Amino acid sequence: MDLLEFARGPALQWAAYILVAGSIWRIVGILLLKEKSDFSEPRKRAGLSAALKVIYTRSFTAQPFARATMYPKMMAYVQHIGLFAVVFLFVPHIMFFEGFLGFEWPGLPNSIIYVFGVAAVVASLALLIRRVTSPVLRLISNFDDYFSGFVAILPIATGLLIPVRMGFRYEDLLAIHILSVALFMIWLPFGKLGHVFLVFITRGTTGMAFERRGAKT
Amino acid sequence: MKKTPTVGEILQAKGVSRRGFLKYCATTASILALPPSMIPRIAKAIENARRPSVIWLSFQECTGCTESLTRSASPTVEGLIFDAISLDYHHTLQAAAGDQAEAARHAAMEENDGSYLVLVDGSIPLANPGYSTIAGISNVDMLKETVAGAAAVVSIGSCAAFGGIPGADPNPTGAVSVMDIVTDKPVINVPGCPPIPMVMTAVLTQFLTFGTLPDLDKHGRPMAFYGKTIHDRCYRRPFYEQGRFAETFDDEGAKAGWCLYKLGCKGPITYNACATTKWNSGTSFPIESGHPCLGCSEPNFWDKGGFYEPLSTGKFDSGTKLAGAAAAGVALGVVAAAAGRRKQSKFAREG
Amino acid sequence: MTTVDGRHTLDREAERLAYKPPEVRHDKQGDMGSKERIDKAMWNFLKDFNTQTASYLDGCLHCGMCADACHFHVRTDDPQYTPIWKIELFKRTYKRNVGPFAFFYRLLGLKRKVTIEDLEEWQHLIYDSCTVCGRCSLVCPMGIDVAGLVSMARHGMFKAGLIPHELHEVAKKAAETGSPLGITPDKFEERVEWMADEHDVEIPLDVEQADVLAVMSSIEIQKYPQSIAATAKILNAAGESWTFRKDGFEATNFGLLSGNPDWQKAASMKLIDAAIKIGAKTLVLPECGHAYMALRWMGANMYGKPLPFKVLHISEYLADALNTGKIKVKKVDTSVTYHDPCQVSRRGGATQAARDVIKHLGVDFREMEYGGDYNWCCGGGGGVVTITRADPLRHRVFKLKMDQVEKTEADELLSSCANCRQSFDDSQQHFGWDYTMGSLMEMVAENLEEGKS
Repeated sequence: MDLLEFARGPALQWAAYILVAGSIWRIVGILLLKEKSDFSEPRKRAGLSAALKVIYTRSFTAQPFARATMYPKMMAYVQHIGLFAVVFLFVPHIMFFEGFLGFEWPGLPNSIIYVFGVAAVVASLALLIRRVTSPVLRLISNFDDYFSGFVAILPIATGLLIPVRMGFRYEDLLAIHILSVALFMIWLPFGKLGHVFLVFITRGTTGMAFERRGAKT
Repeated sequence: MKKTPTVGEILQAKGVSRRGFLKYCATTASILALPPSMIPRIAKAIENARRPSVIWLSFQECTGCTESLTRSASPTVEGLIFDAISLDYHHTLQAAAGDQAEAARHAAMEENDGSYLVLVDGSIPLANPGYSTIAGISNVDMLKETVAGAAAVVSIGSCAAFGGIPGADPNPTGAVSVMDIVTDKPVINVPGCPPIPMVMTAVLTQFLTFGTLPDLDKHGRPMAFYGKTIHDRCYRRPFYEQGRFAETFDDEGAKAGWCLYKLGCKGPITYNACATTKWNSGTSFPIESGHPCLGCSEPNFWDKGGFYEPLSTGKFDSGTKLAGAAAAGVALGVVAAAAGRRKQSKFAREG
Repeated sequence: MTTVDGRHTLDREAERLAYKPPEVRHDKQGDMGSKERIDKAMWNFLKDFNTQTASYLDGCLHCGMCADACHFHVRTDDPQYTPIWKIELFKRTYKRNVGPFAFFYRLLGLKRKVTIEDLEEWQHLIYDSCTVCGRCSLVCPMGIDVAGLVSMARHGMFKAGLIPHELHEVAKKAAETGSPLGITPDKFEERVEWMADEHDVEIPLDVEQADVLAVMSSIEIQKYPQSIAATAKILNAAGESWTFRKDGFEATNFGLLSGNPDWQKAASMKLIDAAIKIGAKTLVLPECGHAYMALRWMGANMYGKPLPFKVLHISEYLADALNTGKIKVKKVDTSVTYHDPCQVSRRGGATQAARDVIKHLGVDFREMEYGGDYNWCCGGGGGVVTITRADPLRHRVFKLKMDQVEKTEADELLSSCANCRQSFDDSQQHFGWDYTMGSLMEMVAENLEEGKS
């Protein structure tokens, strides 16, 4: 079995199992903790709709904080949007999803995808530089922060390398790219990359609790 | 021993003009990426070459490689060159049969000891040598016996080079490639299912001209023909870049000649000369005819995911296993939460 | 409280306003051993953990945006005041003990165990540099209620005997005497009588049955006793059947501020019991911030079931009364800006009430930049104003308020929280500032139309 076959086969398979098992483990482990009952008289009804509202609105920084947080917020958006475009709008990736979802959707031309990819990598590096230079972030950052950043940049960077080649063979670069995706999938449930599913819980519960009081969300 | 005529004499006898001959040498130099100054050297080498003895062994094969190499719509110089080689043993092409055929093989081996070429097509079964025998001799025995005095071995086609279709999962005959058995002689792989005729003759021409083997890649294939992927030389590449793909074999995109990635083209990982040299004297190649590349010059191409599965499709296992992983996650989560809560009760009691 | 007396000319760029880190004081209560303190700190933090708080500690991205919202960090650029950093020790212990991967964190030693030195160092982060104002909770992209987590951390610190000394003494006094300033029920009665006399207003005390139970804060009783009279004027003008009660008059809750849930419950129950005893339909809280949070939002949970009466902050009561015409006010010809108390507006959800009242007062109202729900904290809430070693930090932070108020160029500054008022008064004295904070309730009381007193 050569490297590409291993990457596309057992590596991705096991990465998928670990991703699913680990994510569900973490979510269930949190959801099954005690529930906090609140007997105070609510000012407003605050059910699922409140949760959904805040899940949406917290994506945007409130005006009073906007200027102070503009730079990292912008960089994070470029990173996320770039990643989204590259992952979901590049036709070979769309075919990857089609393979197990059973349906596909239209993609973008490769050159545009490449721009998004480069933007995502540049934004990621900018945030990494900020993390090591800002006094606040230097104090609070730990292994998880750096490793998660590394694991997230690697698939994009290796993917960008494939058309560039740099003397390497396509199938080797493709294998390494797929292995880096497998690594991403394996790490995701356990570190801060888990925010992909935790964000719904954190924003949602806060939304419900604050909206109940009529407090600003 | 009878004096074999030179290749040049043979060509002359067959009425090939000097001009025609030099044209062939120029073309060959070009596809071998050699400078024009090499043309006279090629011409001299071929002209004066004694017809080298070539023993062709056919094992578990479909004869497609022979068909490809000998097919000619009209007599071509390649065909004649091929004639010019002293093909001393070939199941399909030889006139002799039975004991006489084997005798011819042994005679060629003795007469040209150390200088004959062995060409092999077809894979060699090891699970039970009885799966494929010639004159009662198993393939593996015949191979070992024949290459003992060879100058070099050329594996023609993907079966000989990598095991091919007999070697595909579940490989009931235990088929292996030539290079799995021959480890003490130079082996050149000329894979393809079948390989391009011009590639074959160019390899031979190189050998005749320089007496050396061409530069080989990590799979033992001549770099001159297997150094670039189909994808990197495909005329439909701009459509790939633009994101224009044929979705079915006869939709508008297919008719417009768009990229066949979505239909399963393995071009990006396939090294061969199809996109440039093409087939039938440069007429066309599979992609140009509207069919995705199968990747037939790559090892194990039969088992690399379906021909019509896009290259980026993962080879995921069953959904049951994934459901099992989900169930495991739930179980671990429940255990973790229970342990956490128990700790909390302890804290509440003792805090 | 600061002991600096007298005025000094205001020079914002002067050296003396440079930030001095608080003196290193590791206050301890009791004589527990280190291990016991650590255990108590961690256990009491974790025992009430639920899905919401667990998801918070699991979900932090270390983005650092909370630092940009926190007045303590913004005014000092000291990274240790990053709000989520104040929770760091507790985050570690959560992951080691209650989180979904706790077993592996312990097995592989992925998070260090908390040491006594850590906890001692963290005392000033959790108490001196956090007013639980909640701005951090609003900026967090993950929606983490960081301020709420600090409150939970205080539960741990209290039981570990690692809280600032003054806060402990004040809370203990409140637990023992019913008032952080030691105002006994008899003293309260004295003040009520004094105010009734001085302001010529009828003030019911210990009535057996009443619709409305009014309560006061010790700060008002002691420092701003006119609030007692103002409250009475308003409730009388509204024609309420109301009373003060000697067995339940203290609205402040130092159990909440210091981090002792038992004391918190005791203080709340006094008010709840008193209200139930008189069959009150409404309990009106005074101008106090955390009193609103303690009773309106946490009271029922202390009680264990829904409260049988409504709880209103005085500003909410005033808004209601004015909107429904129960009371009327004269128009006041002045320009006003309003400082929103964090626990009433941002955290409590009653931001609009004060604005309704101001509208009825007919003043030229000037919202501060970043007023309302995003208001900068006065810097003295959450018990910070009681911690003397935190004074330099609190004063440094106050510059934000001075700039914010001055920008409006309003004639008057109002708020509806006596602790904010206290913090403003102290800083006003420290800086020689020319704004004095007034009380929204008092302005209404002073301008009631055809009110009976």
